[in-house]
Amino acid sequence: MRWTRVLLACTLLVAAWPQTTAAQNAAAPAQAPEDDPDKDLNESQPDFTLIGLPTTLRVPRFSSAFRVTHRFLRPLGAGDFGDLADDFFGIDNGAQIGLEYRFGLMRGLQVGLHRTSDKTIKFFTQYSLLQQREGGMLGLDVVASIDGTNNFKDSYTPAIGVAVSREFGSHGAVYVEPMWVNNSNQLPSELTDDNDTFAIGLGARVRIRPTVYLVGEILPRIGYDPGVNHASFAIEKRAGGHVFQLNFSNGFGTTMGQLARGGTSNDDWYMGFNISRKFFR
Amino acid sequence: MRKPLLYGALAVLYAIAVAGCDEKLSDLTGPTPNLEPTFRSIQQNIFEAGDPSGRVPCTQCHNAIGSLFNGLNLTNAVAYSNLVNRSSVERPGILRVAPGDPDASYLIHKVEGRAGIVGGRMPFNGPFLSGGQILVIKRWIELGANND
Repeated sequence: MRWTRVLLACTLLVAAWPQTTAAQNAAAPAQAPEDDPDKDLNESQPDFTLIGLPTTLRVPRFSSAFRVTHRFLRPLGAGDFGDLADDFFGIDNGAQIGLEYRFGLMRGLQVGLHRTSDKTIKFFTQYSLLQQREGGMLGLDVVASIDGTNNFKDSYTPAIGVAVSREFGSHGAVYVEPMWVNNSNQLPSELTDDNDTFAIGLGARVRIRPTVYLVGEILPRIGYDPGVNHASFAIEKRAGGHVFQLNFSNGFGTTMGQLARGGTSNDDWYMGFNISRKFFR
Repeated sequence: MRKPLLYGALAVLYAIAVAGCDEKLSDLTGPTPNLEPTFRSIQQNIFEAGDPSGRVPCTQCHNAIGSLFNGLNLTNAVAYSNLVNRSSVERPGILRVAPGDPDASYLIHKVEGRAGIVGGRMPFNGPFLSGGQILVIKRWIELGANND
């Protein structure tokens, strides 16, 4: 109940912030609109995430974005092709669904929350330290998040790490993302050998057509590493402020805690999709 | 405006980095909140004590007199030597407790009621041990089933 109220208050605060600012601006004398380069399209990094891992794309100040994640629960390899077609490639089965909202609190700093249908809530923040567009060799963000299961009442899993990107003109970008995930093992530490996971996310996005990309990511781990290392690949289409992504993963994870707990099996692949929408220009 | 926000963000990152979360063992072990993965604790909280779930102590039956019929005395002085590296009477090919290997330990087979056990699941007629209580016993075995 307490967390529900906090969540509601945070949501209202975030929702009210841009409107409040806009109202203040309206009352002020007319000024030339600020040219915020963070609002410009970055063809190498069209979205704030690869598939589950973050990119170093900034959310412009006082702007926001929304994302839906969807992971169908039917393994594509179960049964023969007729069975798969009968289930319409998993679409007829249940899914783990996530809703995400992120907001640019100040230039380079974004905050957000992500809730998945297994009642996990993740709060996250990301701060951009280096941008390749500003003359750096690399993009570098500090990323932090905390997951809580049962609507953020149980099993808190904080994570912190960095996302390093290297863009190649407008052809795409590669990523290296070392992450430390605490309490990834949801058992008490007295009953486990490892309570933390150290993972290095590796990913790439390649632009194969003006608005079409191939995306892939893997997350090798040490420490608590049940199941198999998360792996996922996707094809996506950018359309204005939207990115539509069809992905295939060896698990259902979309939060850092879920990704640290790994995929189910390298023999089980699941279809899913992400849809994201930027609420700015 | 920018610097306070930046410092606030860095403080949040720092807090997350140093916080360190863990589950409480007592939340898992339910009716026996003091249960830990040591032999002494298992002896005190499981073998020799019941709990609010209505489970009776193992030693209610597995005592010096009962052992004449059921083959196992779990009273304090002899419980360890009767369990660890001792063959089961019901299934002579299996150790009651195989140090380091909970799945090969007949004690776990009996409290989980696995297929292949002789006789009934223990505690007899229930209430049975909770999943958390069994996890603690498994962890004690996994750590070597020491007499600690």
